[in-house]
Amino acid sequence: MKESLQKLRQHLLTGVSYAIPFIACGGIMIAVSITMVSPIGPKGPDFTNAPWARLLNDIGTTGFALMLPVLAGYISYSIAGKPGLVAGFIGGFLSGSVKAGFLGAILAGLLAGWIVNLIKKIPVSRYLKPIMPILIIPIFSSLIIGVIMLKVLGVPIAHFMTSASAMLQSMSGGNAVLLAMLLGAMIAFDMGGPVNKVAFFFGAAMIAEGNLRIMGACAAAICTPPLGMGLATLLRKRIWSDEEHEAGLAALAMGMIGITEGAIPFAASDPLRVIPCIMLGSMVASTIAMLFGVGDPAPHGGPIVLPIAVHRLAYVVAIVIGTIVTAVSINMVKSFGRRKPDASAAGESR
Amino acid sequence: MKVVAVTACTTGIAHTYMAAEQLERAAKELGHQIKIETQGAMGIENELSDSDISGAQGAIIAADIEIERRERFENLKKVEVPLQEAIKHPKEVLARLG
Repeated sequence: MKESLQKLRQHLLTGVSYAIPFIACGGIMIAVSITMVSPIGPKGPDFTNAPWARLLNDIGTTGFALMLPVLAGYISYSIAGKPGLVAGFIGGFLSGSVKAGFLGAILAGLLAGWIVNLIKKIPVSRYLKPIMPILIIPIFSSLIIGVIMLKVLGVPIAHFMTSASAMLQSMSGGNAVLLAMLLGAMIAFDMGGPVNKVAFFFGAAMIAEGNLRIMGACAAAICTPPLGMGLATLLRKRIWSDEEHEAGLAALAMGMIGITEGAIPFAASDPLRVIPCIMLGSMVASTIAMLFGVGDPAPHGGPIVLPIAVHRLAYVVAIVIGTIVTAVSINMVKSFGRRKPDASAAGESR
Repeated sequence: MKVVAVTACTTGIAHTYMAAEQLERAAKELGHQIKIETQGAMGIENELSDSDISGAQGAIIAADIEIERRERFENLKKVEVPLQEAIKHPKEVLARLG
């Protein structure tokens, strides 16, 4: 059971790893094209007098449109190898055209891979064997996945996606805070590992669905662990070793460009103190970002995306406060542990 | 012992290379020879040649995603672990090759 779940995760992450550059390309191009024609009128961005902005927007939109086929295609590829690509790409494309979005694409990719694996198992004569991977498997697996996406699963998933994104769009107050806290905690928990990637990809996929706030909350949370740890080493120099001071400077640099991994050296040497503190800071940052409606059109976080962020001032405030919370709390926990070495040692052995 | 390894993470910008670094360091300490191919966002780097693979006694695959060209390692003793394992416990991972 545990192994098959791990396999499933591996297939999904394979698809995600190929899809991320498409979201980055599409998201940033669309964001830049929209800023070129701002202020945006009541009917959305108006490109009639801005041919260059429209061109950029068209290219970006194409990047987005390809994201779903690539996601589904490579999930299927991860499961079934090369023969899985066709059915996966077709399933992902159809998921886009029936508006079933990234959930539909994920499902299409998984189904396509499993279907191809099943077809592979059918015993065939050795005369038929050479044309299996180039003819029989692509045709039949695509037929099956096509029918499933167009006639069976596509429409219900599309309905679900529409209502889910409407819910996310209209979310305010308590629910939004809860979601933001959860995302922040996940982002910081393993600093770029699989848990972080789940939250991150949820945010990135919502960009393609037209909701930038989820990624906005993630983007603020992404950079506070390294920034906070870096700030902590500067605030109280004597409780940190020389090595940690060096790691702190590197962490600050990595935080600025939105790489959560910068906090790993600290978390690796003292996980029980560091991880709760960076989770706290990231939760604060993502909550502030969510409450002020910060949006991020790029699947990346940290101050580096500031030029394209929505509500930039709130974004900066979220990052600054989250960073300070991280730094102050880790320094408190750290010096507290020093004064009572016995208590902390007992706590750590658990 | 001669070992080949492949590392790959989801985004392919940080963990892939951290795992490679940890494995390299651990192998050096244990006195093994190791060549590590990274499959990050830049694609395959430091690619393993056929002679690297045929000359090795074992392969380590440390990846969160399905790696490219897995069939190369069909005839080798393999240890497959999530990437985090290789970052946190590189020596134990190497020891599993026996």
